[in-house]
Amino acid sequence: MTLASSPGATAGAGPADPHRTPVLDCAGLTKSFGTRLAVDGVGFRIFEGEVYGLLGPNGAGKTTTMKMVCGLLEPDKGTIRVAGEQAIGNLSVKALIGYVPQDVALYPDLTARENLEFLARLYKLGRRTVAARVKEALELTELTERGDDRLDSFSGGMKRRMNIAAGLLNHPKLLVLDEPTVGVDPQSRHAILERVQAFGREGLAVVYTTHYMEEAERVCDRVGIIDHGHLIAEGTRRELVAKLGEQDRISLSATGDLERLAEACRGVAGVTSAATAEGSVQLVATEGRHLLPAILEAADAAGISVTSVDVVEPDLEAVFLNLTGTALRE
Amino acid sequence: MRTALAIARKDLRQRIRDRSAIVVGVIAPVLIAGLMSLAFNGVNNFHFTLGLVELDHGPVAAEVVNALDAPQLRQVMTVEKVATEALAASAIKSGKLAAALVIPFGFSSSVTGEHPEALTTLTSNNDTIAGDVATSVAGSFVAQVNADRLAFATAVAAGAPKSDTSQLIGEVSRLRIPIQAIERPIGAHELKVISYYSPGMAIFFLLFTISYTARSFFVDRSQGMIERMRAAPVRPVEILLGKALSVFVYGVVSLATIALVTTAAFGADWGAPWPAAVLGLSLVLSVICLTALVIGIARTQRQAEGIGSIIVFGLALLGGDFFFISNAPSTIKHLALLTPNGWAIRGFTDLATIGGGFSTIVEPVVAILAFSAVVGAVALSLARRAVTS
Repeated sequence: MTLASSPGATAGAGPADPHRTPVLDCAGLTKSFGTRLAVDGVGFRIFEGEVYGLLGPNGAGKTTTMKMVCGLLEPDKGTIRVAGEQAIGNLSVKALIGYVPQDVALYPDLTARENLEFLARLYKLGRRTVAARVKEALELTELTERGDDRLDSFSGGMKRRMNIAAGLLNHPKLLVLDEPTVGVDPQSRHAILERVQAFGREGLAVVYTTHYMEEAERVCDRVGIIDHGHLIAEGTRRELVAKLGEQDRISLSATGDLERLAEACRGVAGVTSAATAEGSVQLVATEGRHLLPAILEAADAAGISVTSVDVVEPDLEAVFLNLTGTALRE
Repeated sequence: MRTALAIARKDLRQRIRDRSAIVVGVIAPVLIAGLMSLAFNGVNNFHFTLGLVELDHGPVAAEVVNALDAPQLRQVMTVEKVATEALAASAIKSGKLAAALVIPFGFSSSVTGEHPEALTTLTSNNDTIAGDVATSVAGSFVAQVNADRLAFATAVAAGAPKSDTSQLIGEVSRLRIPIQAIERPIGAHELKVISYYSPGMAIFFLLFTISYTARSFFVDRSQGMIERMRAAPVRPVEILLGKALSVFVYGVVSLATIALVTTAAFGADWGAPWPAAVLGLSLVLSVICLTALVIGIARTQRQAEGIGSIIVFGLALLGGDFFFISNAPSTIKHLALLTPNGWAIRGFTDLATIGGGFSTIVEPVVAILAFSAVVGAVALSLARRAVTS
């Protein structure tokens, strides 16, 4: 598995297991800058092998929360435990955390190898370990051949891969990725997202902050929605959708009597409502995809031939809109 | 400490890769010290041609001509007779003569009269030093003549017969003004120009390390590198220590290289090696503290560059990096004692002239360390905040 390509990657590990020790356990995190309350009482837990998305618009408090987790900002209130150890003011805990900042934080006038060696030495690793970790990072980024080239000769995507690989040099238990795809081309973005999913499968606990709803949906096992410094909801996408009572929408196109089709669908268990509109039948249902065989069977029994089916599941955008009254990108 | 070493090594690698650092750290100070030495050494080898317009041909004029032929003056000037004042002026204008002395007609006979004729020096703005020397030579002769006139008048007033005028003139002309002012430096050796400007320029360019390092700190911060370092198990003080170590190594190597090159190439005298090394180390320490101060005060890269430049040029001007501090007004001389570079230059020049080893540098080193302690104490807390903000 590399950062450059990862064919066939699938979703990460399963949801949180309350019986395990969380890799990250933070509670009541509060931080103010002057009179501005940036983060207010945020708390969440992340377990081994879990990719946790912190989703929110710009200025919501995601980066401030991550900086507190990484020991870059001291919280005014709250607790942070990493792998069971109290983290605030505890320098040694930083060795358990890999931090990937939003912007590429590497020296453009040093080679890839020199950058990685320097960053690895900050973790007080021995000479041989440094060499091994650098080799590993260059292999991960598929940049072994370019190891002795200066970073300013790299493409944007290469730099991004290096930026992430640098966060793994200390073999962390917790990887914090702060909006790693901002300003990245689609191909590199795809590679990064696949790699993040792979981190989870490999057993890392990952915190992934983003304001891209589709990224959170794609790579995160659980999502925390943060807005105006408050964690307003948390769970898997399905849990969040269910909490808000959001249901799937199914659109059926058919030849024949659409009213008859709607009537037939109303009889299917799980279909909440069915109505005709603009030459199609619109259904509202729970677990819509699972109901499709029953719906098609009901249509067939009613003598209607369905020509197309479109299932729209409620997404995090809808959840966010429901929770905050505003769209995520506003 | 391992982390600080890693940061210092990385900083030095970047610095060496940036060739301007080698230019600023070694090449420029050596070249400028050499050029300044060449320029100011010219004063020691000063020689010019003086035109002499002798229109009098009397006995006193002959004394003037004899005086100009003195062996001490031959080292400084060559005297060339010119027929008229107009020709002398023309020769000065064309650059053939640097200055000219005109002995007017009737000069000798007027010496004993009530309206003595004046000796005139013709000078040019193109060579003011030659003009000053010619005027000074004429002035010293005029002083002697005036002393003779006073002696003659005193003798006549005391009742000497005026019929013995020529005898009296002969007597008084044998008298010479007895009091002389002479210069004798207190040092065992004369201070060579290169021995002043080598440390002067080395220190001046060493001061540039302040703005360079402060700027690189803010570049690191804007690139997210300080944050990345702090995300690792690294204390803010280790980051500052790493930066300080890189300044220390760069400063020491720069000073040592310039000392070796200027000694070998231009014959500069930096004094005894170990005392000079101690003096250099104390100076580098003060540069580290000043760098931390700029990092602590500035908020952005531009501010760091601006504040750094003000400190560099302010210290260089006050400390005497560009000119002999001994020739400066007394206010500047006093202000120089508030600067680490002023004390360092004083220490290096004392080592070159007085010698005396460590005892010679005690005062400069203590002064520089006191400066470093004051600046360092203020800077450390400010710079820590810069790392963690």
